[in-house]
Amino acid sequence: MNINKYKFPILAIAILATIFSCSEDYLEVSPDGQFLSSSYYTNQDEAFSGLVAAYDFMRKNSGGFENMVTMMNAGSDDHYAGGGNASDGAGIQSFSNYTINSIELPGSFWTDFYRGIFRSNMMILKLPDVPMDEGLKTRYMAESKALRAYYHFNLVRLFKNVPLFTEPIDPADMYNVVQASPEDVYAQIEADLLEAIPNLPGVLSSEELGRISKGAAQAILGKVYLAQHKNSLAAAQFAEVNGTPGSTSQYGYKLLDSFDDLWMIDNKFNTESVLEVVHTNESLAGWGNAYNDDAEGNMVSTMVGPRGFIDLDVNDNVPAYSSGWSFNPVLPELYDLLKDDPRFEATILDLKTLSDEGKVQYSPGYQDTGYFLNKFAPTVAEEHTGAGDMWLNHRQNSYAIRLADTYLLEAEALGGNGARAQALLDAVRSRVGLPSIPVSMDAILEERRLELAGEGHRWFDLVRNGKAAAKLSDRGFVAGKHEIFPIPYKELENTQLVQNPNY
Amino acid sequence: MVKLILTECSLNFNKNLIQIFMKSIILSFFVGLMGLIATAQTYEIKGTVADSGGNPLPGVSIVVKNTAKGASSDFDGNFVISNVSKGETLLFSYIGFVPKEIIISNANNLNVVLIEDTQSLDEVVVIGYGTQKKSVVTGAISSVKSDDLESLPVERVEQALQGRVSGVFIAADAGQPGSSSTVRVRGITTFGNNNPLWVIDGVIVDSGGIGYLNQSDIASIEVLKDAASLAIYGARAAAGVILITTKKGKQGKISVNYTAFTGVSAPAKELSLLNASEYGAIMNEKSVADGGPIIFSDVASLGVGTDWQNVIFNDRAIRSSHEISLSGGNDVSTFFASFGFSDQEGIVMSEVSQFNKKNIRLNSTHKISDIFKVGQTLGYAHKKSMGIGTNSEFGGPLSSAINLDPITPVVITDPVIANGVPYSNNPVFRDENGNPYGISSLVGQEMTNPLADIQRSIGNYGWSDDLVGNAFIEVTPIEGLVVKSSISGKLSYWGDEGFTPEYYLQATSVNTQNRLSRGRSKGFGWNLENTASYSKEIGLHDFSVLVGQGVYVDNISSGVYITYFDLPITSREQASFNFPVTDDQKIGGTWTGTEHKVTSLFSRLTYNYDEKYLFTGIIRRDGSSRFGTNNKFGVFPSFSAGWIASKEDFWPENDIVNTLKIRGGYGITGSDAIGDFGYLALVSGGRNYTFGEDGTIYTGYSPNAPDNPDLKWEETAQTNIGFEARLFSSVNMVFDYYKKETKGILQPVDIPGYVGASGSPLGNVADMENTGVELELGYKKRFGELNFSVSGNVSYNQNEVTFLGDGKEFISGGAGFQSMGELTRVQVGESYNSFYGYKTAGIFQNVNEISSYVNASGSPIQPDAVPGDFRWEDVNGDGTITDDDRTFLGTPLPKYTFGLTVNFDYKAFDLLVFTQGVVGNKIFQGLRRLDVANANHQTSVLSRWTGEGTTNSYPRLSNDDPNGNFSKFSDFYLEDGDFLRFKTVQLGYTLPSEIISKIGAQKMRVYVTGENLLTLTNYTGFDPEIGGNVVGIDKGYYPQARSFMLGFNLQF
Repeated sequence: MNINKYKFPILAIAILATIFSCSEDYLEVSPDGQFLSSSYYTNQDEAFSGLVAAYDFMRKNSGGFENMVTMMNAGSDDHYAGGGNASDGAGIQSFSNYTINSIELPGSFWTDFYRGIFRSNMMILKLPDVPMDEGLKTRYMAESKALRAYYHFNLVRLFKNVPLFTEPIDPADMYNVVQASPEDVYAQIEADLLEAIPNLPGVLSSEELGRISKGAAQAILGKVYLAQHKNSLAAAQFAEVNGTPGSTSQYGYKLLDSFDDLWMIDNKFNTESVLEVVHTNESLAGWGNAYNDDAEGNMVSTMVGPRGFIDLDVNDNVPAYSSGWSFNPVLPELYDLLKDDPRFEATILDLKTLSDEGKVQYSPGYQDTGYFLNKFAPTVAEEHTGAGDMWLNHRQNSYAIRLADTYLLEAEALGGNGARAQALLDAVRSRVGLPSIPVSMDAILEERRLELAGEGHRWFDLVRNGKAAAKLSDRGFVAGKHEIFPIPYKELENTQLVQNPNY
Repeated sequence: MVKLILTECSLNFNKNLIQIFMKSIILSFFVGLMGLIATAQTYEIKGTVADSGGNPLPGVSIVVKNTAKGASSDFDGNFVISNVSKGETLLFSYIGFVPKEIIISNANNLNVVLIEDTQSLDEVVVIGYGTQKKSVVTGAISSVKSDDLESLPVERVEQALQGRVSGVFIAADAGQPGSSSTVRVRGITTFGNNNPLWVIDGVIVDSGGIGYLNQSDIASIEVLKDAASLAIYGARAAAGVILITTKKGKQGKISVNYTAFTGVSAPAKELSLLNASEYGAIMNEKSVADGGPIIFSDVASLGVGTDWQNVIFNDRAIRSSHEISLSGGNDVSTFFASFGFSDQEGIVMSEVSQFNKKNIRLNSTHKISDIFKVGQTLGYAHKKSMGIGTNSEFGGPLSSAINLDPITPVVITDPVIANGVPYSNNPVFRDENGNPYGISSLVGQEMTNPLADIQRSIGNYGWSDDLVGNAFIEVTPIEGLVVKSSISGKLSYWGDEGFTPEYYLQATSVNTQNRLSRGRSKGFGWNLENTASYSKEIGLHDFSVLVGQGVYVDNISSGVYITYFDLPITSREQASFNFPVTDDQKIGGTWTGTEHKVTSLFSRLTYNYDEKYLFTGIIRRDGSSRFGTNNKFGVFPSFSAGWIASKEDFWPENDIVNTLKIRGGYGITGSDAIGDFGYLALVSGGRNYTFGEDGTIYTGYSPNAPDNPDLKWEETAQTNIGFEARLFSSVNMVFDYYKKETKGILQPVDIPGYVGASGSPLGNVADMENTGVELELGYKKRFGELNFSVSGNVSYNQNEVTFLGDGKEFISGGAGFQSMGELTRVQVGESYNSFYGYKTAGIFQNVNEISSYVNASGSPIQPDAVPGDFRWEDVNGDGTITDDDRTFLGTPLPKYTFGLTVNFDYKAFDLLVFTQGVVGNKIFQGLRRLDVANANHQTSVLSRWTGEGTTNSYPRLSNDDPNGNFSKFSDFYLEDGDFLRFKTVQLGYTLPSEIISKIGAQKMRVYVTGENLLTLTNYTGFDPEIGGNVVGIDKGYYPQARSFMLGFNLQF
């Protein structure tokens, strides 16, 4: 045959064949927009990004549908779960009426904190080798340890019997993990905080606010000690934070003159704020990423807002409230305790009276009492406009720890007696113009209830002081069971974990 | 030169490829047109065609060989061809008959007799990179030819395939027009993506992408089922391969085919829901049961109330379709061109559920010389669709219509109510008379008045443009050797346009800012394949060898989207992106897809001796970008053999078993249908937090999950044994048995939360087996003027999960329902995603039954139950009812699927009846919202337990439901999913030739079609055919319509 005749097609095919056997490199595709873990944490900026990721779950306090404030309020004797109906937020409902089980418990109360621990552990593992400013490295390390401690603390006080991680787990061992004893977990938390505290800054610059300072870490440590009833250790830490009652402490903390100013949304990072959870309406969250890591809004505001609020009388002094989902209605008992208290207006929104007077209208939600949590109630004036969803972009920060809280905790750690305990209690009361009353454990607990109402502390206070069963048994609280959450069902699947007693 | 191209390989190749691709298509188009110029003429020849029994044969194709001239016989078997000359050859061909050639002599009135082809096994089937005579195929391949598909009123090709072939389970994902279907070949092959690989004229198109294809452009569909056939597609073949060949032109006169149909659709079934007074009574009963008050004091006065199904369903949804095709060719070029458009309204809220499609196709082939042949296929489709959310418990018109109370009126006409809150002070939607649409005060959550609901989205739509084509050059340098190089591409653009006004549907469904959004995306993929095949017969030895090489790139994609908020407008008509908005009124973004690349080498050897002893061997080596360097490449071999026993000398000529072929094979295939970078530990961003006085958002990065560098191919090994026989001279039978074992299934590993990962790592975690048998039967007989044919298939598949990792017993399944948690579970020893819940054992009729339902120690198992509550089976026998008492309650996947088609032709009439169905599956009937206490009920609630002896199957009503009668997932929610559906019934009439010859036409047929006329099932939801990732989960499924259509077909 005439080879010339076929020269072109044979050549063409040969060329094509050569091209496409290009080699293995041809099959390599690079992960655009992501990094390989083997090549990350190699400079200061990457270390900072890793730190930000570790901070991400601080937002659990008041961000996302499953947030600490709404959940812990629902389980307390001050609030119902509320919401739209009996199964709106099934996990919140069943914690509130103590039918909680391992399936209905929202797993994020477990996994979110463990994600925080994983990210902190990555930092603690990688930081030593990152070429960066040594001073900053020391601080990042301290923050990572404080965060790891904070997340472990939330886990151990919610679930008690939890695995403890001081480094990212080897995938090969992931099913062999067992629960650590609570004592071991607490010991690690204490060690982490004690290592962190000397290396944390006492004062934060304005762009760093929201990060963990020395005072914040000491306040956490105080709470950690108190939770274990190590009262004198706790009191010592709180004293560092609190300083002289009523005066400005070594870190610049001081009770605000006006209780109402605590709830002014623009009054962020005021002198009473010890550990503040930061929110913004600028993440422009939409329903597609509502509860993702990059949604930065405050959800408590939306959740506690009244449903279908309508301002019928625009000339009264009632602000136009923005509608929400009517979670955490306030129980009449708390209403009665607070109604003559100077803190009432800032704490409780009395729509019952207003609607009886024909000034407002709202759609009663589930377990409606007519009383809403005003500390976080959203207003039309503060409604987010523009891009993103209004419901998901409230910008009010929340206090994970504030000075009135640490004052009263110190007084509690002091056993509820003595001059300093009295001074601490008095300071909290005199700030709102209330007279001194004799200090006692009961007085402190009662003051905490009124001062910190709706901020998510009450349930922990009751459990820590052994009063939960007495106060909550009519809700279904069973002593010896409901002091802790059940381990989420998914965590028991194929693992070595053991369910908490009686669940 | 080679060097030069090599450097470009990674840089500009994609761009160049598009250009080459487009150029070759345009070139072939013009070559095609030029080829259509016809030649000289002499005289006219007439004749008739009949079968051996003297019956006239209509529609026989008669072609003058090597010319474009030709005709078809009319209804009486008559034909006329003008401009023929003596010595030319007429070629008569007709399906089911042996083709015949006649050389034109002086006679001009021919009486031609065609002999029926008893060897219908001699059809050719497409086998991937080639074709093979069906009689020597050694694999399990089912095929469907265009004749079986024509005039079926289907929008998508999956629907055309449903019930037609054995071993393939197909269920529509929704009855919404344009919806895709769930397709499973021989069961569930893996845990992840089980979609078969679709190869259309050599172009690999994913299952979502086949929507562009116009059903009547299809010449044949071949489903490759066993590994021996599949291995030629190697790493992507494990879930089956479906090969589609589009129509090509034939030599002979130009034929023009116009088909149109129009019709109306309506729901085939409506649920029986409570009317207002029944509803009032039931609500009272529930309230009183928990110690609450009577809610409705005078239930009779509530009357019938609102029938929300009436509001959402359209009994006169219009659908229509027009298609015209043109084909022909001469000995140089052939072409096939078609154009079609179709419109279809959905039966649910047609205003926002519509689909229309326009498609164009051009296929052509050209002989450049004896050695070179070029050709191309090109299909384009534009689709526009509006759709509603479906099969979700969280709202949408279907779920709302089922759950809304019947007391709320559709429209508020009472001015007192209409002028009160919430209507007076909220942006509520109103009808044309200005009356607001009713807002329920009883049922909230996502349930909203459907008429108001759709006002949010009327006019919003999604669109797509798809262009899929292929161009090839084929060189035949010596006899038997064919070298082919083909390049294929698919280019898609898609997007959506939407405006959402401010609205108030009810207290928690409020939008306070209008928004206007637009998304646009582009995707491109291409593949290039070079093959060389050589066939040779040496005596009785017949062998052919194929070697080939291919490169495939997918998902070269990107998109942009933007939403503007708070435009200064009050109506949809004013919405425009030309309004200036500030930066905080916009959210926008763009994304880039990750390319998926595969390179391959493959080879196939087929051999037969005297068409008696058959052998096929295949080997393919694939490398995929989705795997790490440790396991980048996989090798997939297969072999199969066959023996045509009836060809042996010892096989006695008999009337019972005319032919018999026994065949078997074994092979390995793979799947890389997993996410990208599964083998890498990636650090992702978006783990943000906010710091500072001013609230600055900082971007956080962290690893997603622990890595797994050993990630490798999952492999599916399959053994197939089968036989094909022709019995009693009229029955064709194909039987197959298979066993399919998938090892190392790639799966996101559901790791414990305490690991702290964001997302799940991938792992080769599990093994699974499918075992099944398939039977296809065909019967065809002519009784005088009656032509009768029937073909049916039935398949059985048994799935079993055999391994889930060391010590791992189960993983949670893929379906859940509200607070019930998991509905299905994947467990060793069970079928994949089997239903998993509580087992009921009747209802406690009285307190004695409760106190006597005791455990081993004598204490009651359900001490808190009251009469009327379910008795739960204490499955683990521990004496209490806990989560551990849940057990397996059946599988959502059918055990048997079947289809049956019956055809009758009598004189000018033809009748087609096509039925299909499934047996042996369960459906989760979750139509009622659990968490909405006041949600309406189906009338089955009327037979609830109301006292001793009333019923043993429907528990008492209570809002609190302390026994979990309704809130626990139990067999109470499961129903048999068996059904038999009369899918298509079509009656046609072909007009006599005297009439149609006046307009020069060859055939004119009118027909009426009924679709989904009747479905026999015990299922109480809308429709028992429910596709989806886990099939058989009904949360408000969009039912398939019942349609009646009038159609028309005209051929020139």
